[in-house]
Amino acid sequence: MKKVLSVVLCIMLLTGLLVGCGTNSDKDKVTNETSNKTETETNDTKDVADESELEHVTLKWYLHGSNVTDDSAVLEKANEYLKEKINVTLEPIWGTWGDFDTNSVLAINGGDDVDIYFTCSWSANEYNAFARKGAYLRLDDPENNLIEKYATDLWNELPSVLTQGATINGSDGYGVYAVPGYKDIATQNCWDINVPLLEKYGYTLDDIKNTDYYGFGEILKTVKEGEGDSFYPLLVEGMVLERMVNNSIIVTGDSGALNLLSYYINPENPAADGPYGNKLLSKFETPEYKKFVEKTREYYLAGYIDPAMGSPDTANDTRVAKQLTGEYLIGTQSYALGYEVQASNERGFEVAMVPCTPAYVDTTSSQGAMMAISTASKNPDRAMMFLNLLNTDPYLFTLLDYGVEGVHYNMVDGEVEFTDKRADYSPWTNGMGNVTQLPPQKGQGVDFQDKFKAYYGNASEIPILGYSFNPESVSTELGALANTAAEYALALNTGTIESERLDEFIGKLKANGVDKIVAEANAQLDAFMAAKGN
Amino acid sequence: MNNSKNMIKYDRAKRNKRLNKISIPAEIIINIILGAFCLLCVIPFIFVIIISFTSENSIRENGFSFIPAEWSLQAYEFVFELGDQLWRSYFNSFYITILGTLLSVLICVFYSYALFRTDFKYRKFFTFFCFFTMLFGGGLAPTYVVSKQLLGLSDNYSAMIVPALLSPFNVIIMRTFFQTSIPTELIEAAAIDGSGEYNTLFRIVTPIAKPGIATVALLYALAYWNDWYLAMLYVKDASKIPLQYLLMQTQNSVDYLLKNSSQIGAGVVKELSKLPQDSLRMALVVLIVIPIACAYPFFQRYIISGLTVGSVKG
Repeated sequence: MKKVLSVVLCIMLLTGLLVGCGTNSDKDKVTNETSNKTETETNDTKDVADESELEHVTLKWYLHGSNVTDDSAVLEKANEYLKEKINVTLEPIWGTWGDFDTNSVLAINGGDDVDIYFTCSWSANEYNAFARKGAYLRLDDPENNLIEKYATDLWNELPSVLTQGATINGSDGYGVYAVPGYKDIATQNCWDINVPLLEKYGYTLDDIKNTDYYGFGEILKTVKEGEGDSFYPLLVEGMVLERMVNNSIIVTGDSGALNLLSYYINPENPAADGPYGNKLLSKFETPEYKKFVEKTREYYLAGYIDPAMGSPDTANDTRVAKQLTGEYLIGTQSYALGYEVQASNERGFEVAMVPCTPAYVDTTSSQGAMMAISTASKNPDRAMMFLNLLNTDPYLFTLLDYGVEGVHYNMVDGEVEFTDKRADYSPWTNGMGNVTQLPPQKGQGVDFQDKFKAYYGNASEIPILGYSFNPESVSTELGALANTAAEYALALNTGTIESERLDEFIGKLKANGVDKIVAEANAQLDAFMAAKGN
Repeated sequence: MNNSKNMIKYDRAKRNKRLNKISIPAEIIINIILGAFCLLCVIPFIFVIIISFTSENSIRENGFSFIPAEWSLQAYEFVFELGDQLWRSYFNSFYITILGTLLSVLICVFYSYALFRTDFKYRKFFTFFCFFTMLFGGGLAPTYVVSKQLLGLSDNYSAMIVPALLSPFNVIIMRTFFQTSIPTELIEAAAIDGSGEYNTLFRIVTPIAKPGIATVALLYALAYWNDWYLAMLYVKDASKIPLQYLLMQTQNSVDYLLKNSSQIGAGVVKELSKLPQDSLRMALVVLIVIPIACAYPFFQRYIISGLTVGSVKG
């Protein structure tokens, strides 16, 4: 009895382990099968639907970053409207910032009954990874092209950078697996300038504009001498500073602490080829990086950079606090339209933004907020219809995003003024879809959306837009490098350790297989560019 | 007879007192050591209380400090403005803790009593069955699927109670307690006197095992009171979330926004200013700790008496 039992348990345990290791392939199979099944099923129902009235369905919609405690008023109105339009009842699941990552991944893996998921390039249910796994439905599947059937309006409204950026290699081939949201999609890194302090020492913004990081020395020196020892004129975020100075961008998929890859863009025209062409480089091994590290160390030793910036625990808090109190001269900022006004109001002094490059759209920012239809959805057709309506009907979008007019906000001279009720219903504005449909908020000016479209709609796309690095095949190497990178990267980027230690760092990277990672990333990039060219 | 026994006990106590008497310097040193240890335990909590009364400005400028530059009730004002949600969560926490502890203790006593009885045929199997889950779990995703889809533990109180009903660790503690404090002879004697199994368990074993049950109950109560993970996984309805999760939610959101600020965009600063800052978090911690700290002394009495009470005299 006992022996039999132990044997059975051992077998159970072993199979458990094996299944655990081989998850991906098995799961893919299952989800693909189910997705095929649902597709054929929906084809059938669709024919019926065209002939008669649309059957009533309930759509579950999983959102990110919301602060919603009472959605009854909004849902009552929205569902009334949706029932009339497409006979749908909406059931939003309001994710909060903190728990979205865990919960959405569990819901997807557990096959929860959810129709539409928020996804993007930076959350845990990452667009590329889960599209590869087969968690999301391909929307432009040649056999069942949902976009062509139900969402041509939506698709035509989006700038091509977004539709391009959403087209990736997923489980069903090179295609679109989610509807990208039209929000602040461009990236533009700027020097954040404390104008009153700059002018106090007789400089003007032109002095900043006409030089670059390597030419800041003199200005920094003057201000440092004038303000005293405990004042650090350069307020930098290490990783951002490196990208700003070297004109390298975030390579999607190479995220988190492990920023190992660089793609250099052309600072004059991001749409053109950069100095190295369409090639990914090992971030820390380029001559540009060496030059940057040496300069940064020089600035650090001269007392221009706060030592707190070199420690991941203190960097953020210190930076935010010093921004608010104005204890800096030049800072780093990832820009969004209108940010200088907002920052000036918040900090109580004039803040100017001096851009390093024109605004550009990379994969990360073009995939900043998207809505994907789950392969577990029973009604993908209706989900697509809903997404189309959401992104093209300003009434519906404003209702869901800002709440009910007269309850959550009032219109004053064509601008939105929120009431206290808004505290009970504030979803993440940019996380829903096409925000250009929204009326401007107070202080933005009535022509805000035109400016918004002009700025973001015309941002140039980088040549490798849509590419995302799939780290699966080199996960061993990446795992080995995690600690090394965490130890050196931030410290080098902020100058808190000697620049000579860069060689030591590169040595460790090489020893742990960084070359293999770079080669793999480039092979993937070549394959992507070939698919894109077609 | 009784009288003489008491006399002996008294005599022994007197003599022990003399025997255990230690020299004054040793007493001083021991007191200092214990006092220091006590301080180490209490100071962090006092610090938390002080921070919760510190104004946000002075935290930003000077960091945390025992003597803040500026005192303030801001954090508590904000907490009490949460109003309904706060009391609702308080109620939920109590409800889950009390109901969960009662059920868990009941199950735990049943299970471990069966394991304790040597005449139970499948005793080895069930011991192993319980112990096995301490070492190997099913993993998060399967657990989630079973709980949510099979058992329907979604957006209800049972979602925060059922998954934590049985703790193998507590079962083993309880079994060991039975083994060390209840002699088999006692159960045999009860059986001879005509006591049925339930009668033996509730009338004879349970009163003796009170200290053990109190210990286990305290462990369960702490686990239920401190749990936020189950609420995070299964509960979306704000009216059902417990106090702990209310705290974790704000904490997680602040961390997440900081981590992803570059992707979420400039709006993040606005979001951040809405979220509670350090002093508020500490105020929530204080509110969470107070009830459980009040419950401790009651359990403590049983636990201490558990060390001195025995069932077989003589």
